[in-house]
Parts: sequence; C-alpha cells; structure tokens
Amino acid sequence: MSAGKPNMGRKLSRKSSYVFENGQIPGYVHMIRQASRTSSMVSRTTDPEPRESYGSPRVSRLWKETRQPRTPATPEPPDVDERTPLLLGKTPKKPDTRSDEEAKAESVLADLRKELEMDSHKISLDELYTRLETNPENGLSNRQAELHQSKYGMNLLTPPKETPEWIKFARNLLGGFAILMWIGAFLCFAAFAVQNATKPDAPKDYLYLGIVLASVVLISGLFSYYQEAKSSRIMDSFKKLVPQHAQVIREGSQLSVCVTELAVGDVVELTYGDRIPADIRLIESFGLKVDNSALTGESEAVARSAECTHDNPLETKNLVFFSTSAIEGTGKGIVVNVGDKTLMGRIAGLASRLESSQTPIAREMDHFVHIISSVAIFFGVLFFIISVAMGYSWLDSAVFLIGIIVANVPEGLLATVTVCLALTAKRMASKNCLVKHLEAVETLGSVSVICSDKTGTLTQNKMSMSRMWYNGKMHAVERPDDPDNEGLSKIIVGDPEFMALATVARLCSRAHFKVGQVGIPDALREVVGDATESAILKRMETLLGNVEQYRFRNKKVCEIPFNSTNKYQASVHCNKSDCGSHFLLAMKGAPEKIIEQCSTILINGETKELDEQCKAEFKAAYEELGARGERVIGFCDYRLPPEEFPEGHLFNTENPEFMSFTFRFVGLISLIDPPRVNVPNAVRTCRSAGIKVVMVTGDHPLTAKAIARQVGIISPGNKTLDELAATQGVPVSDLDPSQVKVAVIHGSELIDMDEEELDAIIRNFDELVFARTSPQQKLQIVEGFQRQGTCVAVTGDGVNDSPALKKADIGISMGITGSDVSKEAADMILLDDNFASIVTGVEEGRLIFDNLKKCVFYTLTDNISELTPFFLFILARIPLPLGTISILCIDLGTDVVPAVSLAYEKGESDIMRRSPRNPLKDNLVTKQLISYAYGQIGMIESFAGMLTYFVIMSENGFLPLKLLGLRSQWDAQQINDLEDSFGQEWTYEQRKRLENTCSAAYFVSIVVCQWANLIISKTRRVSIFKKGMTNWVLNFALIFETALACVLIYTPGMDVALKMMPLRVHWWLPALPFAILIFVYDEIRRLIIRKFPGSWVEEEFYY
Amino acid sequence: MGTEAEPQSKVNNNPIYPKKPIEENTWGDFIWNSRTGQVFGRTGTSWAKIFIFYVVFYAGLAAFAGLCYYLFSLTLRLDQPKWILGDSIIGTNPGVGFRPMPDQEENSGSSLIWYRRENEADAAVWYNQLANYTDAIENPEEVDSLQTCSYDNGLRATEIKSCFVDTKQFGTCNKNNAFGYRSGEPCFLIKLNRIFGWEPEPFGLNKRGQYDPDLLLEDLDRQKNLPDSLRKYITDGVKSNIDPSKFLDTIWISCTGENVNDKETLGPVNYWPRPGIPGYFFPYYKQLGYQSPFIFVQFLKPLTSVLINIECRAWAKNIIYDKIDRLGSVHFELMID
Repeated sequence: MSAGKPNMGRKLSRKSSYVFENGQIPGYVHMIRQASRTSSMVSRTTDPEPRESYGSPRVSRLWKETRQPRTPATPEPPDVDERTPLLLGKTPKKPDTRSDEEAKAESVLADLRKELEMDSHKISLDELYTRLETNPENGLSNRQAELHQSKYGMNLLTPPKETPEWIKFARNLLGGFAILMWIGAFLCFAAFAVQNATKPDAPKDYLYLGIVLASVVLISGLFSYYQEAKSSRIMDSFKKLVPQHAQVIREGSQLSVCVTELAVGDVVELTYGDRIPADIRLIESFGLKVDNSALTGESEAVARSAECTHDNPLETKNLVFFSTSAIEGTGKGIVVNVGDKTLMGRIAGLASRLESSQTPIAREMDHFVHIISSVAIFFGVLFFIISVAMGYSWLDSAVFLIGIIVANVPEGLLATVTVCLALTAKRMASKNCLVKHLEAVETLGSVSVICSDKTGTLTQNKMSMSRMWYNGKMHAVERPDDPDNEGLSKIIVGDPEFMALATVARLCSRAHFKVGQVGIPDALREVVGDATESAILKRMETLLGNVEQYRFRNKKVCEIPFNSTNKYQASVHCNKSDCGSHFLLAMKGAPEKIIEQCSTILINGETKELDEQCKAEFKAAYEELGARGERVIGFCDYRLPPEEFPEGHLFNTENPEFMSFTFRFVGLISLIDPPRVNVPNAVRTCRSAGIKVVMVTGDHPLTAKAIARQVGIISPGNKTLDELAATQGVPVSDLDPSQVKVAVIHGSELIDMDEEELDAIIRNFDELVFARTSPQQKLQIVEGFQRQGTCVAVTGDGVNDSPALKKADIGISMGITGSDVSKEAADMILLDDNFASIVTGVEEGRLIFDNLKKCVFYTLTDNISELTPFFLFILARIPLPLGTISILCIDLGTDVVPAVSLAYEKGESDIMRRSPRNPLKDNLVTKQLISYAYGQIGMIESFAGMLTYFVIMSENGFLPLKLLGLRSQWDAQQINDLEDSFGQEWTYEQRKRLENTCSAAYFVSIVVCQWANLIISKTRRVSIFKKGMTNWVLNFALIFETALACVLIYTPGMDVALKMMPLRVHWWLPALPFAILIFVYDEIRRLIIRKFPGSWVEEEFYY
Repeated sequence: MGTEAEPQSKVNNNPIYPKKPIEENTWGDFIWNSRTGQVFGRTGTSWAKIFIFYVVFYAGLAAFAGLCYYLFSLTLRLDQPKWILGDSIIGTNPGVGFRPMPDQEENSGSSLIWYRRENEADAAVWYNQLANYTDAIENPEEVDSLQTCSYDNGLRATEIKSCFVDTKQFGTCNKNNAFGYRSGEPCFLIKLNRIFGWEPEPFGLNKRGQYDPDLLLEDLDRQKNLPDSLRKYITDGVKSNIDPSKFLDTIWISCTGENVNDKETLGPVNYWPRPGIPGYFFPYYKQLGYQSPFIFVQFLKPLTSVLINIECRAWAKNIIYDKIDRLGSVHFELMID
C-alpha cells in the first residue's frame, strides 16, 4: 500500500533469488506446477481415514456418502477428496505484457498464490537424514547448525518492508494541496526577488508571505506525519513477542535454543503446550495432538504421528507446522523448513506482498483534492491570462496568482480531516476497535460486504457442549429458551438417565482442571486436555460440581486410550458407591462404534433391549446432530459382573477381557464451537444496514452452514439448493438454481471456477458460505467481491486469513486470539475479539463520512468568499478587499475548530438503516456540494464581505463609485495624496491602513457568516429546530471562533504582524443580515428537500 | 433468529453492486456526450434550469445586498465623511504631495523624475503636468466661495469660504519658463494633503494663537533634523516681522537631499514664495472650489547625470514625521541627463 513502485521491484527481486535458491536444492522444496489435485486423486484410494476423531458423521466416510449434502451450483466432482482443496489454489494465467522486472515480481506472487509443494514428508527417514545431514540421536553438530542457518536462513519471518521514514515524511510534504502551496510560496519568493532587484528598499511583504506559506505546508506536513507515526506506534505494542525456546538435540545432547536459531535438520522435542517452532517432520509421537486452527481455521486438535499418511503436506500426519501449537502428548521431529519457507512464512509472505488497495476515504480525499486543485489552477491560469491581457505587469499577475491559489486552497482542511479521523479513531479505540491507520476509520462505514472467518471470529474457538441425547429425547444443554432449541427437553439433574450419562462423561475422560485454581468460576478454570473432553468436563463441573472428588471416589483402575482404529476410549473404575463394590466400565467414542458394542439401552430408568426401534431413534438423533455440524460422541457403560471381576482384579490393558461383553448405551453428547453471544445481533444489524455478511472458513461445510444459520448469515427460512431438493424429494439437478438465494460453496468447487463463474455466484446468491477454503481461495473470494465494485471487509484471526485480510479494503483481526501475522496484515484490530464491535465500527465509519462531508462543506464555503475579492480586485480594479494573510487567518485560524467540532455531530437519521454508500456515486465532494457551497452559500458570504468593505470605505470617505478603477493609483507607492470622495488626500500608508481595516472587516464578516454556516452544516436534511444545538463542542467552537477573531483583530501589534486592524463594533454588523439569510435560506432548502423528495432542488442542491 | 414477520427480515437483500465504471466516459464525452445529449455533464434543459436559477438567485442576492447598502447609506452624510480626523482612519497627520509625478500606470512604484535637458519632449512631460495643475488653479470654476486671503487682511478659510492660491507669486516657476525644466533648474510643487477639518498647530504660537518666543525655541528644539536654513529663516522672520504671530501661522516646508551625498549633489534650493504654507488656508471643510495651497521648490544647480534622492517635509507641531509611513514628508528622485 505504501511501498512505491521502485521499492516493490527491489523487494521482489530479493524474493526471486529465494526461488532460485530453492531450485538449487533438488527435490527439497519443489514448486511443482502440476496441480496437486492429481496427487490427491491418487492418494484417495490408499488414504486411510485422514483424521482421527470420535467419528462424527463428517469424518465417517460411509456416513458421509449417504448423508453428506452436496452443495449446489456445481455438483462436487466425485473424484475430489473431501479435504484436499485446502492445498489447492488456482492462479489464472494472465497475459504477460509487463516488463521483465514486473513479470518476475508477478511470478513470485503467483508462486506464493499457489500451494506449497514438498516431499520432505514422503521420502524415507534415512533419505531425509542424509539430505539434511543430520541424525535422530545426535542431531546436528553446532558447525552444521551454523552452516544450515547460513544456507537456509534464520528461523525468522522477514518483517514486511517498511517505507523509509524520510519517504513517508516527504510524501506528507508533497501530498494533497502541498504542491499548490509550494507553487504559491515559490511565486512569493520570486515576486520578492524581482521587487528586491528593482528596488532595494522594496517591502518584504512577499518574502514574509512566502515564509508563511512554506511554514504552513511544513507544519501541516509535520502534523500528518506525526499522526501517521502515532498510529503506527500503536502497532509496535503488538510486536513485542516473548522470545521462545525449543528443546533441541545438538551434538548428542539436549539443549534449549532460542527459536530463531533453529536450523534445518535440527532434532526438536515437542511437548504439549509448546508452540511449534518450525515446520517439522515427526519421527516419534506419543499421542501428540496439534491445534492447526491458525492455519486451517478448524478448532479441533488433530493427532500427529510419524507415518506419512498423505501426499499432501497439510494432510499428512507426520508434519507439524510453524506457529501452530501442541495441545497434547509429546513428540520428536526433524526441522524441515524454517522462517519464510515454512507454510506460515509463505502465507505471511503472500500477505505482505499483496498491495492493499487505497482506502475509500483516501480515494475520496484524492478526488476532492483533484477537484479543488483543478478549480484553483483553472482560476489561477484564467486570471493570470486575464490580468496579463488587461495590461497588468507579469509581477502583478503572478501576485494575483498567489492570491487565487491561497484563496482556493483550504489550507487547514486536510489537517482538520486528520483530526476528525483521529477523534473517531480514539472513540473507536475506547469501544475496543483499534485502528492501525487513521483512514481505516471510515472504511468500515463504506463496506458493503463482510467476509468473516468462522473460527474464533463468529465462534468462540472453544468447544462446548451443545446437546445431550438420552432417554430417547434430545436435550439442550445451554440456553433452553433459545428459539433454536425449541421443542427440546430441559436437562433435569438427578434423572437416572442423565446421571448414567453424566457418570460416564465424568469418568471416561483424561481431561482435568489445572491445580491451584480455587475460587475461580468454573467457566474460567483452565483445563488440561483436548478440546472435547475439556468441554465436557467443564460442563459437568457446572451441572454437577466437584468432578475431581467424584473421580477420586471412583478410582480408575484401567484405561484403554483412544486410537483411530477402535475409535473409542474406555476406562474401568472401582465403584464403591452403592450395593457394594464392583467395577464400572465407562466408554465413549464414535457413536456408530459404541452402538455396535451395545445390546441394551437405558430408557426411563430401565435397561432395555436395544431393538430396531431404539436403533432407528438413535440414528435419527445422530443424523440430526450431524446435520448441525456438531461433533457427536456416544457413551455406554457396563457394570462388570463381580463374579468374574472381583475386587482387586488386575486388568490387562493390552487385550482387555471385558471387551467381549456387550454394554448398555446411555446417550449421545454433541459439541460445537458455539457462536459468540453478540454475533447474531451484530449480523442482523449489519444486514439491516445493507451489508452482506459472508462466511469464508477453512472448516467443514456442515459446521459452517450450521453456524451460519445460528448467527443469521443464512436466514431462518432460506434453504440451499440441496435442502430444497431434499424437502421436495427431487434430485438437485431438477431444480432451478435461481430459485434459491443461499449457497454453501466448497473450496473444491472454487478450484474449478474461473473468475466469471465466481462472479456469477457472488452476484446471484444473497447468502453465501464458503467452506474448506485455503488462504489462497479466501484471497480469490475477496478479489471476486472487489471485482463487483464492492468494498470488502474481511475478519479473521488465523494465519490462513492474512492474505485476504491484506487484500480486503479493510482487514479486521482479533486482538486476543489473532495471530501476529493476521494482526500485521489487518487494518483494524478488535481488542475484545468481539464481532459485534464491527457494528460499532460501521456506525462510526458512516457517521464520520457524513460528518466529514459537513466539515468539507463548511470549509469549502468560504473559499469562494475569499476568491471574489480577488476577482473584483482584478476585474473592477478596486483596492483589495481581503488580504492573503487574512485568508490564512480564516483557513488556519477561525475555521479549524468549528470544522473539527462537526466531527462530534450525531447522525441525522438512523445511519444503520440505510444501504452502504455507492463508492462511485456518493462521493465526499459531489457536484451538488460544490454548487451549493460555492455557488450559493459562498456567494452570500461574498456579498456580506463586500458590503462590509464598501461600508467601511464609505464611512472613511471612499464611496463605492470612487473605488471602481482606483486600484492602480491606490497601490502606487509614489502617490502620496490620493483623493477620496470628500477631497481628502490619503498617503500610501494611510490607504494601506484603510485597506487592512477593510480586510479585517471582511474577515470578521466571514466569521459572522460562518456562524450561520456552521449551524446549517450540522444538518443536511432535517430542520435545525429538530436537530437541536446539543453538540457542545460545536457550541464551544462558535464562541471560540469569535474569541479568536477578536484576539486576531484587537490584540495590539496585530496591525504589524497580521495586518489586522481594530474594528469599530458596528463594523461587525453589516454581515449579520447575510448570516440570517444563510440560515433561513438553508432552512427553506431543507424544507423543500424533505417535502418534495426527488424534486429538482434535491437533485441539484442536496449534497 | 426471527421469523419472516419480524422487521429484520426486511433486510436489504440486494445491496448495491455498482458496476465497474465503463471506460467510455472520456473527456470528449464530458464536453459533448452525443448519446445523452449532455454538454459538460448536463443536458440543454438542465443547463437552462440551473442557469435561470442562478440568474434569479444572484439577482435576488444583489438586490438584498443593495437594499442593505441603501439602508446603511442613510447613515452617511453627503457633505462630509462619516468619520473625520482621529475617528477616521486617515488620522490627523497629513502627508505631503508633490508634482510632477511619474505616471503610476506605466511606472508603478516609481517616484523618479528623469529627463534629458536637450530633449524637449522629455521635459515637456513634466512641466506640462505642472502647467495643467496651475492652469486649473488660475481659472477656478467656482469663485463665490473663494476669497483672497492674506496675513494682512486677516481673512481665513471658514466652513463655507476658502482662499485663492495666488499663482503669480512663484517667480521663475511658471509656465512661460517651462518651470525651469529646460534650463536645468526644475521646480517642484509641494503641497500638504487635505484632511477634513484639520488645522495646523504652528510653531511658537500658544493655544490662543499668540506668539511666545520661549515656546518657539522649545518647539524648534524639539524638531529633529530641522534644517538649519529653515530654522534661521524662522528665527530671522520672527525678528523682522511686526506681528510674528501672523508670520508664524505657517506650515513650514523644507526640501533636502535625503543623504549626505544627495545634499551635496542637490545644490541650493529656492522656495517660491517662501518655505511655508500660510495657515489661513486651513481647515478644509470641502468648501466649494477649495484650492489646495502649495509652494514651489526650485533646485537651482542639481548635478546632472546623478540620481538625487529628495525628501520634502512639512513642519508644524501637529505634524509628526514618520519616514516609513511617509507621514509629514514625501520622497522623490530627480535625475537630469
């Protein structure tokens, strides 16, 4: 965004050498051009169940084939594996018409847009050791480690290239109106130089003015540079990373090494709780589970082992990735990639290489600066030509040009806008929206699409129990009153059926609370264990309390841990509670596995035969939960017969004899990563504000769809094509896709789409969910929306979101859970991770846009009243009514505080009820605004100023007719006796004093008119009597403006410093009728706009 | 989640998807768009409407402003400025004027009187200016309100009457002599600026207009840079005159070279009729046909081919000299080739 073109080239050429370097390591990391889809097709047949889990329906292939609803639009090609698209990306080849440098840069970007290809996980371990010159026992030698560090680089992510400070500073000195102002200053110096050359004792006015103009540019440049620097400092607070250490084996001994010093080939030991320090191939795993949610968006932990299970690096079990975290177990592995070459490094690289587009407000400001500059240049050149043609000297003409430029440029406006944005940014920060750069404040107000990540953004990224099924009924665990849970039974603690399920749930679990957490509410206590078990444990603790003690009473005597073949976990407890001591078997696992193991079921407190009807009920419940995208776990128990298992029986865990029994089924528990509490409301507000909320997630389509329904991204009544087909009982192909408004698009479908198809989907469906998307595809989706001309916001917290965050018009990351990469790529950070804060952001953004419009209107209005004196000076040849310094006093003095105070205005109507602005039509500065500000209000102010001018001239002896054509004599220094209408003769200095008095009076009359202008700027539509004067900052500004004007006029010495002269009190009055006129005139305009919508007046003068 | 009937189901399901701007809106199209018949972005009727609106608007606005000015002008007087003397910005400190003066249109900011002695046309520019000025004085349009004033007859300017300027007292500075320009002894007309109601406070006169020798010395001592010749002229005049109070009722005028060099190159100066303007010409009340009193200074032997900076000053107790603001003085340059 900020990097200039030459920089970009340098940055990318550095990167391209990296590609070359990789090319030199044969077979190490290939950029295989062939789409990995081929490999996934091959792997599909040999691929065992790709992920261990408790066999939720979405994992069970058998189940999936009968149940898995196909998403509409394009039926999923049968040969594509469910999970592979994560690694697939498509980069449409574009015609290459660029220069070599650019083409190179493009190709690096294109490579990054593709997926990582590597074979380090596929080759045999021996081959890997040879390649990396390491061995599993002794690790690398220190020398080799150093060698590898220099060869493959340090284990660091290259920070995004920063624009040098002086370039930032220079940009601030040359941006906006600065160029025009420099021209003005230059002309002043030139005029002074010419004058000085011809006459040694020439007045230093132009030197003085030139210095003032130059300082104005310098100061406002410094100011915006300071603002920029201030907001970038906010980000530095996020950068303080705690240095982390990794356990490494080098030269045969284990040592703790700073993560950054990790080298390729290092043997690393991993323990639960660690952040994975690099991309690592596992050689040993003891129940190691990693949380890949930062990369994939899936919140459940996945098990990792030493076997290569998949060609696809992301799917194979023997790779763990940088920045993910180990949740459970321990392991050992070889570092295969470090730093920028890790999977996360590539994504981060992609993100930092993308140029994010200009913010809408920056576009608007540019547009505005262009308009005003064009006007200034137009008038400047026009009057230069006119004055030369009228016979003025070149010097005079150049001096007129200075005046016109100074009058035309709203010197203080850009700083005012910055202050307004900064105020809003501050207000938003207090509402937990931290804005990284000021312009992003407004961007949220213009978004029409929010692409939201699911995990951690819409949801809590925390498993939680959702439902329990027992006694043949579905029970809601949380919020039984929620409409979503309508028709479900309530849990009654103490029911024997519930207690049976709860007993198994409490006992058959390895999760436990961390010790030493006394007095902390259950919900906040930290748990050690996997997400599912932790969720159950916590819920049981809140429902029943004191799980630890219960477990202590029912000691575990034997345990069969979970494995992916059995898909269950069982434990035996000595149950001493009732009817003597006996052993209780508690077992949980994939529901279909559990039900197979059962012959009875607990219904109404009785153990019944598990008949077909019960099985059907079970299946229905299981399917229902599965369709909700929830993870379902089955539970059963069995009281081991005391005859065969007497007290003190020693169990054999290797080949447990009790597995030959059949058990009693007690129920199902389903878990889901639930939506955050405020999200449904926030989504509703966004939608009523005309913003389309789209879910883009790496997670499973069913889960995605379920959450989308829960949070309202999919409206309650709306069905997807296949759901419609299911209800109508017809095949999907028979239905017209245009009937439905909802689509859940699978990442694998995206692969086959070209831009046009994606665009068609984006246009045709109102409610969209993209599931199983890779980081590259998220980017594609964002680009798709941007192609439609919409302003896109992306929310996300994971590394996988960062390219999309960067590409989006505004990227929003999460302050608590967000990864550093995503925070780096984002423009805004939600400190409380609350999606609902976005609504605040949208509201503030829209408000600030409205208020900026008012602010611009207010400031632009007096431009014309500053300009007319010059026109009359040149054309009517009257003495100058308004001096250049006075103009600066208005633009940089009295106008500033009132303009800023408009930022505190409250919205006029419910801004969250209207559609987002159309970036092509609803500009900050419109034709109507210019016409009304310049043509009408500005002209009224001009008349007020000119009237005041003539009044003062008349009172001092120069009647208006005398003034016409008087300019050249008036300004002639040698004329020491210029006659007025009453025959008095004025010296040059006396005339100038009169002129300066007029200038001060003109200044005052602008101030007086600006009172009225400020009040009318408060509202664009409603009457001021309805709107009220409750903006106290604005009321203060009115007083401040007046006080400042008094200080400028009446302070002794101002006649020398600013050429301001003290005024008689009644010289404030001539402008008053015009101020009243402005007020009344605008009230009438607004009345017409309200009464006659669509009328000519609205069309022409509603800005 | 709500049902269909709830207000949130009225969500905007069709957010605007603005199409990309079609690349056909060129500058040419902006000036004249044949498809829509728009000229500069508006159709003919649209232009007409907005034009009529603005004509009406500005007419109304101008009428409003005109009315305001008319109402205001009722507070003005026709016979005198609303504010005079200290109330007016012109103040109470008159400036000094000189003739001839370079044309401000051609030569803005310049106060150089330059001519070649041999070149008749050069000199004519200057002496014709003076001739025109004196001609207007000699043939006044209005005579009823003018009277011949002198120290002897005691007539002074009143609210309705003012004094003739006698053009016969200027010696060689006359039209026939081309005001000395041809002969290299140029005359300059020096006058005091008119300020409505301003009266001089001459040196050496007390509040009642009586001569006070001590006061005179005190007044003269108080003036910085008072040329010795002028001082001598005044002190001598007081001695030789029967009624020094009449002699002293004068605004004294002196013209000198600005710097030491200029003083040398300027040479001797002659004042016609004397180095001062009689006080009886004041005050100025916009009397009909009022003639500004003036004197002539003649530079008798200015060095040729040298630029001479000349400063003329007016002297009275209530004339405060300010070189930067050019009050009580005037500056011009002379160069004869």
